[in-house]
Amino acid sequence: MTTTPTPPTKTAPAAPADPAGKTPPTARSLTWARRRLSVARFWSAYRGHRAGLFGLAALALIALTALAAPLLVGGDVQSVTNAPGTAMEKPSGEFPLGTDQFGRSLLGLLVWGARISLTVGLLAAALSVAIGTLVGIIAGHYGGWFSTVLMRITDWFLVMPALVLAIVLATVMSRNVWTVIIAIGITSWPTTARLVRAQTIAVESRPYIERAKALGGGHGHIMNRHVLPNVMPLVLAQTTLGISSAILTEATLAFLGLGDPTVVSWGGMLQDAREAGAVSSGHWWYLAPPGIAIALVALAFTLCGRAIESVLNPKLGVAR
Amino acid sequence: MSTTSTTGTTAVARASEARAARGDVRAYLLYVSGKIGGAAVSLLAVLVTSFFLFRIIPGDPVKAMTHGMPTSAEQMATLRRQFGLDKPMWQQFTDYCAGALSGDLGMSYQFRAPVGELILQKVPATLLLTGVAVVIYSAIGLWLGTRSAWRHGSLGDKLNTGVALTLWSVPGFWLGLLLIITFSVGIGPIPGMFPTGGMESGTESGFAYVADVAHHMVLPVLTLVAVGYAQTLLVMRSSLLDEMGSDYLTTARAKGLRDDAVRRRHAVPNALLPTVTMVFINLGHVAAGSILVETVFSWPGLGGLFYQALSVPDLPLVQGLFVVFAGAMIVMNLLADLLYPLLDPRVGR
Amino acid sequence: MVTTASSKRTRQRPRFRLVLATGAAATALVTAGAVAPQAQAQPQDRPVARSQARAAAADDGKQVLTVAVSQSIDSLSPFLAQRLVSTSIHRLAYDYLTNYDVKDGHTVPGLATAWEPSPDKLTWTYTIRDDSKWSDGKQATAEDAAWTFNKMMTDENAATANGSFTSNFKKVTAPDPKTLVIELKKPQATMTALDVPIVPKHVWEKVDDFSKFNNDKQFPIVGNGPFIITDFRVDQYLKLKPNKDFWRGAPKFDELVFKYYKDGDAAVAALQKGEVSFVQGLTPAQADALKSAENIKVNDAPGRRFFALATNPGAQSKDGKKFGNGHKALLDPAVRKALFHATDRATIVDKVFQGHAVEGEGYIPPRFESYFWKPEASQKIAYDPARAAQLLDQAGYKKNADGKRLDKDGKPLGFRILCHATDPNDKAIGKYLQEWWGELGIGLKVECLDNVSDPWLAGDYDLAFDGWSVNPDPDFVLSIHTCAALPATPKDTGATDNFICDKQFDDLYAKQAVEYDAAKRADLVKQMQSRLYDTGYMNILAYPNAVEAYRTDHIKSITTMPEAAGNIYGQDGYWSWWSAEPAAAESASDSGSSAGVAIGIGAVVVLAAALGLFVAMRRRSTAEDRE
Repeated sequence: MTTTPTPPTKTAPAAPADPAGKTPPTARSLTWARRRLSVARFWSAYRGHRAGLFGLAALALIALTALAAPLLVGGDVQSVTNAPGTAMEKPSGEFPLGTDQFGRSLLGLLVWGARISLTVGLLAAALSVAIGTLVGIIAGHYGGWFSTVLMRITDWFLVMPALVLAIVLATVMSRNVWTVIIAIGITSWPTTARLVRAQTIAVESRPYIERAKALGGGHGHIMNRHVLPNVMPLVLAQTTLGISSAILTEATLAFLGLGDPTVVSWGGMLQDAREAGAVSSGHWWYLAPPGIAIALVALAFTLCGRAIESVLNPKLGVAR
Repeated sequence: MSTTSTTGTTAVARASEARAARGDVRAYLLYVSGKIGGAAVSLLAVLVTSFFLFRIIPGDPVKAMTHGMPTSAEQMATLRRQFGLDKPMWQQFTDYCAGALSGDLGMSYQFRAPVGELILQKVPATLLLTGVAVVIYSAIGLWLGTRSAWRHGSLGDKLNTGVALTLWSVPGFWLGLLLIITFSVGIGPIPGMFPTGGMESGTESGFAYVADVAHHMVLPVLTLVAVGYAQTLLVMRSSLLDEMGSDYLTTARAKGLRDDAVRRRHAVPNALLPTVTMVFINLGHVAAGSILVETVFSWPGLGGLFYQALSVPDLPLVQGLFVVFAGAMIVMNLLADLLYPLLDPRVGR
Repeated sequence: MVTTASSKRTRQRPRFRLVLATGAAATALVTAGAVAPQAQAQPQDRPVARSQARAAAADDGKQVLTVAVSQSIDSLSPFLAQRLVSTSIHRLAYDYLTNYDVKDGHTVPGLATAWEPSPDKLTWTYTIRDDSKWSDGKQATAEDAAWTFNKMMTDENAATANGSFTSNFKKVTAPDPKTLVIELKKPQATMTALDVPIVPKHVWEKVDDFSKFNNDKQFPIVGNGPFIITDFRVDQYLKLKPNKDFWRGAPKFDELVFKYYKDGDAAVAALQKGEVSFVQGLTPAQADALKSAENIKVNDAPGRRFFALATNPGAQSKDGKKFGNGHKALLDPAVRKALFHATDRATIVDKVFQGHAVEGEGYIPPRFESYFWKPEASQKIAYDPARAAQLLDQAGYKKNADGKRLDKDGKPLGFRILCHATDPNDKAIGKYLQEWWGELGIGLKVECLDNVSDPWLAGDYDLAFDGWSVNPDPDFVLSIHTCAALPATPKDTGATDNFICDKQFDDLYAKQAVEYDAAKRADLVKQMQSRLYDTGYMNILAYPNAVEAYRTDHIKSITTMPEAAGNIYGQDGYWSWWSAEPAAAESASDSGSSAGVAIGIGAVVVLAAALGLFVAMRRRSTAEDRE
């Protein structure tokens, strides 16, 4: 109930596209029943995608590890003064992945790093999709010169080389996790905006929107109650795909030395490895695991995103 | 690394727009002038914004450049004068605009050479590396994508898509580092058979020089291809699958054409369109996309120059490179737009 | 739906065609690209140099010394170049008036064979040698030196790089080809350490705009140093050949190449494979890995840098205005002392530098023996966390219930430290400080930036990682802590390092600047260091070693500086490259590169064949389509 901002009561009867919703006392419960049903339908369709299931399972495992990191390895894993090993040890029973230049366990750092990498990925993708959805819906709904201006701005961002812009932003702002999130979020929203705008226009051309307008639904009402729920699936798919590229971009920025050096992330570990000279001294065990972790998470999100996309868009489903 | 679905979708949107324009010559001309006008506006916007974008990098480049070096106040004033930094902002801006319009992008702070000249020196290296990579990965992507779509659902298709998606999820710079460890430094029985970085040994001439450059290119190109071909593959595969449902293919087959001929003469050319568009857009991306690979492999191109210039910060050089990167995208987008109606075989056949 | 069956023969072809298309396109691009940079790099003035270099390279048995560098050369003009890599190349290409002795760094003859100050200390007379020739055959004379200095004094653009040396010059003349006379405005102790390349007047007087002339168009570049620059490509390589007529004797290698590697790992890998002969700036892990490698010698030499913690003493300008936002608590000597007491320098040397450094004490590194100073036991701030806590308690910074110390306003005490984002040591030490000071109850925020200069010069920092490379003559590194180095107003920039302004230190500085007696001056310099230590605004953490490695199968012997256990790269002179002797055996790099070339040739041949095949197939397939 808290998910959508509900306007005053009189709008409730006008809301549902389903005529059955006119029965006043059950309107809301019907809506929920319908949503439950569509979620169930979605899930049964999603289950058919084996790759999607694999992605989901991998994600669940990684997310669980990240959440349980304090229990698994303890917050002490980042400490340099209490580091248990000596510098750059090879993998051993005590340190399954070896140690870094401070003598800290690389396995512990890898587990701990999942927290930052996932957080940054999720938040950056959420930011990017939020901006994109907002711009897309507004541009699609209002039309006219306002939309033209918005879309020109969108196009301008689209031709900007995103990584270059992100590098510039990350250089300009101070080195911390938020900078990275903002740099990724601000540079990756235009594609979402374009897709959402197209979808908004498509939705608004449907007859029931006409009806809602005739019944006195304002701009806010139409955007919130009709357009938004209809673009939500697309937004969900975009977010999932966006996370995977956000995680890659985070790693890239960290690798270029633009991440926050005081926290442990996978990209940061790669950067540390390189700064320590792991490549030329042949310490592949320092270099390989963070990269594999990044690839695994990015792949898992991509698989989920593709599965969601094809469930929501059957035509695409054939295609992919 | 942009998302696959995106480019595909914009390509499709572009297709419908372009098809509408193909109707008659006047409509096409209108379409062309509209696109060129739009590109010109974008280019102008890039020129203007690149000036201001890099002024928000806080502080004084002269201080940054001379920090840690014995420099007197007089020397700093001289430097400031040499770079025109003693002028007020609006005058710097008008100077910049006037210069940019006449092709002069200013003087690099660190190399004290015209930015245009520095960029031109690096363009061939970047173009060579990324051009070869784009051509190779587009070709591989097209080929594998076609195969995959044609045998949709087979084990080969699944393997193909799976490998492509996995490689696409791998951070390119990391793959590059692993390739260096494995094939340049050498692990165990594998000898280090490729150079670790750079574009040439600097000792060869003539044919040996070409061979030397090719030898230096192997690993960076391999890296770019590995992470890049997935996109082409996926777009080609999905657009070919779209085509395969079409009625005209059934008709063609009914005419008695061999299956292979149907594929080669009808389905593939049509499905190629979105992919070709994407290749163009990728070409626009290459300059900017090469930053990481050039950094990892010490390739003497634009990407490396950009990253290095940013850390000084060498504002005129960063600005110029930014304009070049964005300009490449705009021009390639424009080319894709203009070519589209001409290439679309569904119209006028 | 769609049938996938088709005959084997027909399935084969399209695949093959696409592969061929790829190959063909790649070949075209390779050839086009490979030709382009060459064609483009050969405007009018260059072909001669290039073809010479190429021809020479083709000869077998040529001994090439390749040095990997990571810094890009900013300019080849001695009037503009400021980076270490560029100035050390100028050392090789031009003779300076004086040089530093390879054993202990005392001044020895360069272009000048003798020098003499006048009794009033204001006029210096140099005798210029008569056996130094420019590489174009002309004699190098006092006139060249006088012209170089006069140019720097009259043209502000020519003063860009080294103007600080001539700012106190009144008049420079050359009464005869063997005599150079410099008149000063006030005495200057650095007159035997004028690190200014002397350029040939007859070449340089043709230059109009010194701010734009980079000296990189006409090769070989006319010089009179032990090497002659023959070729240069930005961010790729710089080549030099030995100057056979150099008065001290010709260098032994046939060619010296500085090759640019953006990435340190790539440079080390290149050393392992024999693509380069020398690499510097090794990380501890790299040094360890190379130590066990065959034919490679790791040189772990005392460095010329110090690595320090600087605290903001309250930034101020000469007009007395305070600016910046340095933390007030750091103005309390007890707090600074407590922080330094809680800093374990031995661990930093041990863990961060992994032994490749010497624990910090005085300001000037021990490598410069005559100026090196150590704190007395009574004044030394040793590692002692208990003492640190006690000092803070006494000064009134008590711990609260959460174990955080509170400042005088009752807020938790927390500092920021400026760190260079590109320096791994800054980041690593930041981590340790965070934990050590955290235990003390003091928070620390490590602010890593690419461009630390701005907050630094604006005084917007609490603490900062600081470090300077020290010259044999310590004048400069001392001058940056004088009041005279402060900016004139908050808007200006001064030469000051850390806004320190101390009367006692200044008085000593003024005395040493005019002291021409080496021993007396050294004593004054030591007193200055003691004073600097006591002010407690700076704490030297370590003197990082210069960690370098070279291939013993390329280089038989090379002179370090100081000769006993010294470094090779970035010496105060040309000793290392000038003295390097090639190993007798044919260097490994040749076989490696020829194998590489073979692979490259193979690749090109395959691509070309593919192109041919492609064309053939293309013809056939169109013919088939037409039927």
